[in-house]
Amino acid sequence: MKTRIVFAVLAAVVLCAGQPALAHHPFAAEYDVNKPVTLTGTLDRMEWVNPHGWIYMDVEQPDGTVKRWTIEAAGPGQMNRRGLKRADTVDGMSLVIKGYQHRRDPAQANGRTLVLSDGRNFYIGAVGGPNDGADR
Amino acid sequence: MEAPYRPVASVREIMNSVIDPSIDIVWDSVKTVIDDGRMTDFAPTTDEDWTEVRRHALIVGEAANLLLMPSRLIAPPGAAARAPGVELEPDEVRALIDENRDGWTFFVQQLQDSVGLALAAIDARDPEALLVAGEQIDTACENCHQVFWFPNAFPSVP
Repeated sequence: MKTRIVFAVLAAVVLCAGQPALAHHPFAAEYDVNKPVTLTGTLDRMEWVNPHGWIYMDVEQPDGTVKRWTIEAAGPGQMNRRGLKRADTVDGMSLVIKGYQHRRDPAQANGRTLVLSDGRNFYIGAVGGPNDGADR
Repeated sequence: MEAPYRPVASVREIMNSVIDPSIDIVWDSVKTVIDDGRMTDFAPTTDEDWTEVRRHALIVGEAANLLLMPSRLIAPPGAAARAPGVELEPDEVRALIDENRDGWTFFVQQLQDSVGLALAAIDARDPEALLVAGEQIDTACENCHQVFWFPNAFPSVP
């Protein structure tokens, strides 16, 4: 069995303490639709959790340094219905994510599409994002 | 006749101080983390764990009733929207609620219904059902926010 059940609420709270945004916020208050980003890198960590999933990826910069981006995504139920399963995501895998940069945090974005290393493409936007056709 | 309630907090303060911290505990209690080369599912395991999550679900379900008290302020006196131009100002939220009291009540009760699903999942010790209920709670929150808090916050791509 590839998963193991571990508790607990306290541990989860500690893990989630570093989540970068309030659970509820209008897209436009947090993210800038005028700053689209395309991020190519490797998955470092992913949290399948309500109300939003969180993807942490390492992106190599032109100067050779690595920048760790935090990407807000849809919740687990929405991702599942769009065909992206938990087993599809393995840390260290290559990813391409398109989205919009955070207004204040230059290393955070709202994810819209995700392309896995096998070429499969998924809409990962949460409710309330811009009408940009990413969901088609 | 309305009971002699004496609201202490505004709607914003109830959201930030009561509902949001508690629903975060409910949401965070079931999740999967991909890290360090493995996939790990988190869920309550002991009776104490489940009781703690249940306590927070109850807080949200009952706090929803506080939102229905008509004399409650939307935000502390003098407070403005935290994201002007994206969120409505408190007096604009107040006007929308007063014009559409049935809609406000509907969304509050939708929140309570979804919390009811979470309570049932907790009582059944069913992490998957709690995850599903968690999404329904978020949907209830978003539905209400998009009508009463930030109805104009859907940006077009330039």
